[in-house]
Amino acid sequence: MIFSFELAIFGSTISVLIIMFLLLYFYAQDYRKYLLEGKQEVIQERSQENAILSNMKRELSFAAFFMDDSKSIGIRYIITSLLFFFIAGLAGVGMRISLWNPNPTFLTPIQYNVLLTEHGTLMLYGWATGSILGLGYYLLPSMLKIKSDKLGHLNSAMFWFYFVGGVLLIFSRSTASWYFYYPLTDQLTEAGGGSYSFAALAGVLLILTAANVASIIFLKMIFFDRDKSIRLSKLPLFAWSIVSTALLILSSAPVSMVADVMLIYDLINPVFFTGSNGTALGYAILFWFWGHPIVYVAVIPAFGLIYELLPKYANTKVYSYKSGVIGLLLLMVLSGTVWGHHLFNSGLGTFWDLIFSTTSFLVAIPSAITVFNWIATLWTGKIRLTVPMLFILNAIIDFVIGGVTGVMQADVGINELIHGTYWVTAHFHFILLGMTTGMAFAAIYALFPTLSGGRRYNVALAKAHFYLTALGTYVMTVPWALGGFQGMPRRVAGYFGIFQSYQDAAAIGGIILGIGQLIFLINLVYSSTKPISVSNENILESEVIYGE
Amino acid sequence: MNKKVKYELIWLVAVIAILGISALANYNYTLSASKNIAQPYNGDPSGVVINVTGYQWGWQFEYPNGTTTTDKLILMANVTYTLIVTSKDVIHDLYIPQFGVQVYAVYGHTNEVSFTPLVPGTYIMECVEYCGEYHYEMRGEVVVL
Repeated sequence: MIFSFELAIFGSTISVLIIMFLLLYFYAQDYRKYLLEGKQEVIQERSQENAILSNMKRELSFAAFFMDDSKSIGIRYIITSLLFFFIAGLAGVGMRISLWNPNPTFLTPIQYNVLLTEHGTLMLYGWATGSILGLGYYLLPSMLKIKSDKLGHLNSAMFWFYFVGGVLLIFSRSTASWYFYYPLTDQLTEAGGGSYSFAALAGVLLILTAANVASIIFLKMIFFDRDKSIRLSKLPLFAWSIVSTALLILSSAPVSMVADVMLIYDLINPVFFTGSNGTALGYAILFWFWGHPIVYVAVIPAFGLIYELLPKYANTKVYSYKSGVIGLLLLMVLSGTVWGHHLFNSGLGTFWDLIFSTTSFLVAIPSAITVFNWIATLWTGKIRLTVPMLFILNAIIDFVIGGVTGVMQADVGINELIHGTYWVTAHFHFILLGMTTGMAFAAIYALFPTLSGGRRYNVALAKAHFYLTALGTYVMTVPWALGGFQGMPRRVAGYFGIFQSYQDAAAIGGIILGIGQLIFLINLVYSSTKPISVSNENILESEVIYGE
Repeated sequence: MNKKVKYELIWLVAVIAILGISALANYNYTLSASKNIAQPYNGDPSGVVINVTGYQWGWQFEYPNGTTTTDKLILMANVTYTLIVTSKDVIHDLYIPQFGVQVYAVYGHTNEVSFTPLVPGTYIMECVEYCGEYHYEMRGEVVVL
């Protein structure tokens, strides 16, 4: 295909986006000037405490979109990733409702596939990646006592890359699923990968660019900009988890970006994944080189958050700082070697099957070290069941379930039985819902006084949010696991009637989950109307005491 | 030795023991039953050969006597079969849950997998690699006579 209507549309979409981008930039500059000139007294009053980055207080507000300091960038990412989370969550609930009957009634197969792709890409690239970048930008300056940050403009530009990427993912109406496997993605029809699936690829490229640049900036913050008083051996465990994540992103994301560019090139001139010098599986292999590390990118920062928050609510020290660091860094090294387990049945051959399944068993070891560390910390401490603590405990339990169901899949024989079924979906929803999403909410609740400028959240509503989220997770994923073990396939708009009871139970779970998240929104709105009543001190800023 | 380190080592040894046993069992199974796991086709099939072609959106089975069926695989009990699987367009994945058979169908690439059905009956068969609009209808039945 040399030229087509779709490509013309794509070109004009991109130009409109660029123009929007420039306009936005000039408006933002204008608004900043207004802020600086119009509110001179306020600015001066605040300039004392705001002169040092680590002491800045930044609230969840749209003013953050016009400021370039690291904390405002963090706020921008948190707001936007929450927005993407709700859009993707809505897509998820729509899919659940549509699967109530064995034959699609509520949604047509194409609509279902659009939601499937949107849910997957937005949750992983928009929510998981975005919330991690947000918490990294927001927390690292305070934890590391960084005085100033001179890369604000770059961070700001990268945020807009991420934002535009997410918007492209939403509006591309791609039906290629988040793998973007080769021959399907380049079938530019509604029945194939969707007429504009390349726009989704462009979105992924933009988001991965932002993630790569942010990773470099995080490493710079941690290793070069941190206050001299913080020695490397006293670095907060959250910072170590970000080191691990950043190195993982930098070592594997570029591979997938190259593959995405090749995929876009193959639209015009197919040379890379087809013909005599390429195979369709080539894309799958390049993709999974990043596709597996991204799930560790989504959980390792959550591990770091647990290490920071757990001692605060258990009134004790982290059991062992050293094994915490070793666990986080080992996870980074080992998780880069396991990607082949996504392709066991594609004809890798016995030799490679065995290598990848053995490395997949190995990656359970650092996870086990980490879980032991948490349990030992809980064991020696005195537990306070605050809302963040509830999320943390649930995250640990869900991670153990998700981990055990995950390591089972590493067995080549069992993998033949459950690969491509809802068992896999259940496994990673336990981890991504319990651990990634749960810890993002735990962090938001723990930081609530800072994020809201000194307000309290309603505890009853927050607890309702927690219990509905936890209950919804189990009601949804346990039937998936049971059905999946009997061969209920993933990514289908309809299914054999024998699986209906599992799908119906999961639909109820999905709706419970959805209601839970709405309660979170209600709580945000409700507490924003309350007067300022507590100190806006950041609990993650206060000094953390680690064990030896 | 520090008490803390001792507890950690006990836990670590236990975890490594469990994982080691699992890895050994996996190694053993994979080597002993390698014919039952999807492999690139090496030109030396065992038993009765059935050529399988996945396309958007259906499965075509070609038997040794030249007959073909669509979305329905007919087998005899206690006979060893080798499926030689390829695709006409995008990547598909043939999956027969009750037999533990799963093999990718990739354009320009042939995979093989062998198995022996034992119990007569009707089983389900599905495509489990997402392949476009009617991916969910790319399913059928396996009849063992």
